[in-house]
Amino acid sequence: MKAETSAIAAASLRESAEVAVRVEDLTFSYAGSRAPALRNINLAQRAGEMIGIMGASGAGKSTLAKVLNRIVPEMEGGDLRGVVMLNGRAIANSHVCDLAGEIGMVFQDFEAQLFSTTVAHEVAFAMERVGMPREEILARLDRALDAVGLRGFEHRDPTTLSGGQKQRLAIASVLALRPRLVVLDEPTTDLDPEGRAEVFALIHRMREQGASLIVIEHEAEELRQCDRVVILREGAIIAEGTPATVMPQIELLEECGINAPSLDRVMRVLEIEHHPTSIADAEQHIRKQLPHAAQIANEDFIEENRAVTESKTILEIDSAAFSYPDGPRVLDGMSLKIAAGEFVAIVGQNGSGKTTLAKMSVGLLAPDTGTVMLEGRDRTTLRPAETAREIGYVFQNPDHQIFADTVEAEVKFGPQNFGLAPDEVEARCAEVLHAVGLENERATDPFLLGKGQRQRLAVASVLALRPRLLILDEPTTGLDYREQRKMMKLVSELNASGVAIVMITHTPWLVAEYARRVVLMRAGRKLFDGPVRDFFVQDELLRASSFKPPEVTALSRRFGALALSAEELVEGLRGKPR
Amino acid sequence: MKTSLYVDRGSIVHRLHPTLKIFGLFAAFWSIYWIDNPLTLVPFIVAELVVAAAIGAGENVYRFRWFFLLIVLPTAITWMISYRRGTPIINLWIIKPSLQSILFGLGKGMKVAALVLASVLFLSSTKVEELSVGLSRLGFPYRFGFTITLAFRLVPLFIDSALTVVDAQRLRGYDFDAGGPVERIRRYVPVIIPVFMGALRKANNMAMALEARGFGRSNDPTSFIEYRMHARDAEAFVLLLAMCTLAFILYWTGYGEIPGMRIHS
Repeated sequence: MKAETSAIAAASLRESAEVAVRVEDLTFSYAGSRAPALRNINLAQRAGEMIGIMGASGAGKSTLAKVLNRIVPEMEGGDLRGVVMLNGRAIANSHVCDLAGEIGMVFQDFEAQLFSTTVAHEVAFAMERVGMPREEILARLDRALDAVGLRGFEHRDPTTLSGGQKQRLAIASVLALRPRLVVLDEPTTDLDPEGRAEVFALIHRMREQGASLIVIEHEAEELRQCDRVVILREGAIIAEGTPATVMPQIELLEECGINAPSLDRVMRVLEIEHHPTSIADAEQHIRKQLPHAAQIANEDFIEENRAVTESKTILEIDSAAFSYPDGPRVLDGMSLKIAAGEFVAIVGQNGSGKTTLAKMSVGLLAPDTGTVMLEGRDRTTLRPAETAREIGYVFQNPDHQIFADTVEAEVKFGPQNFGLAPDEVEARCAEVLHAVGLENERATDPFLLGKGQRQRLAVASVLALRPRLLILDEPTTGLDYREQRKMMKLVSELNASGVAIVMITHTPWLVAEYARRVVLMRAGRKLFDGPVRDFFVQDELLRASSFKPPEVTALSRRFGALALSAEELVEGLRGKPR
Repeated sequence: MKTSLYVDRGSIVHRLHPTLKIFGLFAAFWSIYWIDNPLTLVPFIVAELVVAAAIGAGENVYRFRWFFLLIVLPTAITWMISYRRGTPIINLWIIKPSLQSILFGLGKGMKVAALVLASVLFLSSTKVEELSVGLSRLGFPYRFGFTITLAFRLVPLFIDSALTVVDAQRLRGYDFDAGGPVERIRRYVPVIIPVFMGALRKANNMAMALEARGFGRSNDPTSFIEYRMHARDAEAFVLLLAMCTLAFILYWTGYGEIPGMRIHS
C-alpha cells in the first residue's frame, strides 16, 4: 500500500516536472447558455513547450485559457466537468489569486491590466499582492524589466507608454512571479505593427529561454514558431499537430475562421507539398518545382481596375498643422486630397497623426494653420452635423456609438436626427441593413450581437446618412478572419457603388488586397502617398515604420515582381510557360 | 493629455510618510473649517501657496484657475445675497448686502477654494499607491484603499471614452444643445449608455487581470517601497498639530469669525 502511494507520488513528481498542463475530458457551459463553450477537451503540454491556439471568435479559445487559471468557473460561472492539472496538481479547489505564481495570464486589453502610477510599481504589483518580501521584489524587479526591455523606464507613468510598451509591461508584471506557464490571450490584437513586432520578439525570447507558453492568436503566420498548434471549432479541438502538419490544411483553417499563412496558400495552389518555414524556404521550393519561374513581371498580373483614376476632389487638406492644448504637434504640414470613388489606406504607427487627420476631415478638430476644404467649401465654417451626410466616420470601437435597444433604432438614429421623413428613414434603414447583412436582426438588441456584427451595425448606422466619403478607423480590429473578410467585402462593395473609402489600418494584407492608394504617416507628416504597388517597394520607409509587407508580397519580389495576394503570385508564376 | 496631478519631485513634502500626508490633508480641512473671516483665512491660503511652490505644484494650481473662480465667485455671490445680517450698504431690489454679508460670502468662497487647493496639493505630492498605503496604516481595510486607487485610474479612462462617444453621436447629426435644461440632460442618453456599457466591460477585464495577479490572496500585501517614519515626519506632525490648534483658538477667541456676527457664543 505504502509502495503504491509512493509510486503515485513519484509519478506525480515526474508529471510535475514534465507536464505543465493536463486537461482531461473538459466540458464547460456558461451559466444560462445551452450550448457548451468547451466540449470534451483533452490536451497535455510538456514543460517548455509552446502551443498556439487558433479558432474563430466564439470557438472557445479564451474560455480554455481562463479555465487554466480558474477565472472560469470562479469569476465567469457555469457548469464545468473534467480535470485540469497544472504542474501535476489538480486545480479544482484553487482560487484564481492562488494560482498567480504558477500561471501568468496576459490579456488583449492592456489598458485594463495596468493599475499603477509608475512602471516599477506595476511590475511590483503582483509580487506585493502575494506577500513577497521587499528584498525579493527588488531583486526580481530589475530582471523582469530586463526581460521585456523596459529597464530605465522604472519611474515612467504607464499611461505615457506606447501600446507595445504597455503590453510588454503587463507581461513583465506577470513574469516577475516566475510562473511555470504563461498564457497570452491575443496579446497583439490592439497593437500597431511596431508593438506587434516588439511583443512577438519578446515571446520568441521567452520561448528560447524554455518558458512553457500558450499563445492565442488570429494570424496563423505568427504561430509558425510554435511546437504545436491546436484548432478549436465550436468548443472542440478539431485539429492538433505541428505547424507543418496543420498549417497546410488551408480549407480546414478557413472553415474555422482562421487566416491560413499566405505562403502555405501559394504552395497549395502550386501543388507543392511543403510547409514553408520562411520566405526563403518557400522561394527555394518553388524554384525547385517550377524551374521556369525564375522571373515574373508585374504585367503578368496587374489589374487595370486598381489604377488610380482622376476624378472630382471631395476632400482637400492643405498644409494643415495641429497641436492639442499644451501638447506636441500632432500634424505638421499635412496635405491630402481625396477624390470621388477612391480607396485610400492610411498607415503609420500609433501617434503618427492618423486619427487626428480623420477627426480634422470630419470637422471634430480644426487645424491651427492650413485649410480643410470639403467640396470647395471651407470645412471650418461648417459644423460636424452639417456635413455628416457628406463624410461618414466609423470609429474604431463600435461600442462607442451603439446605444439603442434594437438594431433598427440604432440605424434610424442618424436619419431621424436630420429630420428625414419616416418613409425615407424606413427605406434607408432597410437598404443599409441589407447591405451589411443584418436584415434579419432588426429587432435584436445590439449588445447581443457579436463583435463583427456590431462593427457592421456601426457602419450601417453611418451609411444611413449616405455619405460620399466614408472614413473607417481600423474597421477590422478584434475581428476574426471570417469577420474581417465580411467587413472588407462590405467596404469593397460600397466603394464599387461609388463611395470613396479612407481606411486607417495596421494590417498589411488588408492594404495589399483592398486599397488602391496608400498614405504613410509618421510624426504628423506624410512620408508616402501613392499607388499601393509603389508603396510595398519602399523598403527603407517600410522598415523605419515597422510596416512588414505581407509575406506573399515579399516572396513575389524574389521573383522580380510585386504581387499583392497569394492568388496574384500564383497567377504570375503560372503565367510563365513551364 | 496628462490626467494625473502627481508632480514627480523629491521635495520634503513628497518625502513625508504617506500617513503624514493624509494627516496633513485632514489638518488643512480642520483648520479651514473653523475660520469664516476672509482676513484670517489669508495666512492659511498663503501657507498653501508656499507649499505649492515648494512641491512644484504651481502648474497644477494654474490648471485649476477657472475651477477656483467658478467655485469662489458663485459661492461668494450667493452668500452675499442670501445672508441678511447687518445694515445694508446697497439696496437694489433683492440685493441688499451689508458689510458683514459681503465678508461672509467672500469668506465662504475662499474657504471652498482653500479646501480644493489643499486637495490639489495633496494629489500633487502623493502617488495613489501612497494613498492606499497611508489609508491601510490608518486602519482602513486594504481593499478600501485600493478601490480609491482604482477610481483614480478609471476616471480618466471614462472621461476619454465619454468624449469619444460625444464625438461619434455628433457626427450622426445629434444635437446635444437642443431643448430646455431637463431635455438637455435627457439628450445625454446616447452617451451614457455606451460609456456605461464600456465601463462594465472594462471593470470586468480589470477584475480578471487583478485576480490573475494575485489580488485577494492576502489582506496585508507587502510593499516594495519601504515607508519609514523619519524625524521630518515628527516635525511635520508637530507643525500640523500647531496649525490645527491655532485655527481652533482663532475660532474660540472670535478672531476666526466675521466682526459683529458672533454666532458661536
